[in-house]
Amino acid sequence: MVFLALAVGFLTIAGAAFAHHGTANYATTKSVTVKGTVTDFQFVNPHVLIYMDVKDDGGKVTKWQGELTSPNRLSRVGWHKDSVKDGDVITISGFPAKSGAPEIWIQKVTLASGEELQTGGGN
Amino acid sequence: MRNHLSVSILAVAVIMAFSFGLTAEAAQQAGASNTQTAPAPEHDLQGVWNMHAPASQRHFIGATYTADEPAMTPWAKAKFEATKPSNGPRTHTLQQTDDPVLKYCYPPGTPRIYLQPFPMQIVQTPKEVIILYEYDHTVRHIYTDGRPHTPDLTPTYMGDSIGHWEDNTLVVDTIGFNDKTWLDRDGHVHSDKLHVIERFRRVDLDNIQIDITMEDPKALEQPWKTTLYYQLKPTWNIMEQVCTDNLDFMSFEK
Repeated sequence: MVFLALAVGFLTIAGAAFAHHGTANYATTKSVTVKGTVTDFQFVNPHVLIYMDVKDDGGKVTKWQGELTSPNRLSRVGWHKDSVKDGDVITISGFPAKSGAPEIWIQKVTLASGEELQTGGGN
Repeated sequence: MRNHLSVSILAVAVIMAFSFGLTAEAAQQAGASNTQTAPAPEHDLQGVWNMHAPASQRHFIGATYTADEPAMTPWAKAKFEATKPSNGPRTHTLQQTDDPVLKYCYPPGTPRIYLQPFPMQIVQTPKEVIILYEYDHTVRHIYTDGRPHTPDLTPTYMGDSIGHWEDNTLVVDTIGFNDKTWLDRDGHVHSDKLHVIERFRRVDLDNIQIDITMEDPKALEQPWKTTLYYQLKPTWNIMEQVCTDNLDFMSFEK
C-alpha cells in the first residue's frame, strides 16, 4: 500500500519543473505513493491540501496530508473545489517529508476511476 | 539482494516516469513556441499573459533570473549569504525562512513580481500602461504620457515607473525603491539605488519577451540582465490570490 523509491539524480529534474514556496521540507530525491480515503479536501491558497486515511496491510490507519500547487493554477488545468470529495478513494504520488512524517508534496493524483488529474504545471 | 534490485528497478521507473512527463511537457511547449501566430499589433500589449519559460531556464526560473550568479558587490554578497531563502539551492523551511514575501507578505518588488508563479493582465489607457499581477493583487502604473519620474520620490516596494515606445517596444524605467525586498526568491538583495529597465517586445500576437536589466551601484558590480517569456492566454481571467492566506499555511508543513 505504501512504498518508497529512492531515485538518485531526481533533484535536478524536480527542481526544473516545480515552482514552490520551497523544497526544504521534502525529500525530492525520493518518491512515495499512498492510496487511501479522503477525509478533507481544501481548495485554498496558497496550496491546495488533501488529507486522507491510509490503511496498511495490518489494518492500521495513518493520517496523511498532501499539498498541491495553488487553486488558481489547478483551476486552469480543470480542477474545481469538488474535484476530490470526502470519502473518495484516491492514490497520490510525490515527494515525502524529510522528517518521516506522513506528508507528501503531491505530483500525481489518480482517482478511483483510474482518471489522473493534472497537478498544475504550466508556468 | 532481491530487495535492492526491486528498489533499483523502482528508482529507474520513477526517474523515467517523471523524465517522460517533463520531456512530453517540454515537447508540447516547444511545439507551442514554434506555432506561427499572427503578427504583433502596434503598440498593444493588452491581454492576460503567463510565463512560458524555455527549457533552458526551467532549472532556475522558479527562483531566480539566470543560471549564473550576478556580479555582487562585497556588501551585497555578505547580505546575500546571510539570507534564508525558501527557494533555490540554499532552501530553508517556511518556519526558518526570512524571505520578506513569505514571512511578512511584503510586495515582491520589481522585478521579483515576475517570479511569483501567477499570470498578469496588461491594460493600456492613453496615459498609462497598467499591469495587474494576479499575485496578491499587485498593480503597477507605468505612465506613458511623457512625464518624468515623480520628483522627491517616497521609496516604495514596486518603484516609480515611466515608459515610452521605441518602435514596437515599450521601454519602462523604474526607480524609487525601498530596500525591503529581494531581487529574487534566492535571496539576492538590492539597495534603494536599484534601477530597473524593462523592454516589452510583443514578438507576435501570442508572445511577449521582456528584457530586464537591473542596475544597483551599491549591490551589483555589473548590470544583471535576463529575458522572460510570456504567452497570451485569451481564455484566462485574473483570479483572486491573497498573500495573507499564506500565513495560515505556515503551520501545514511541519
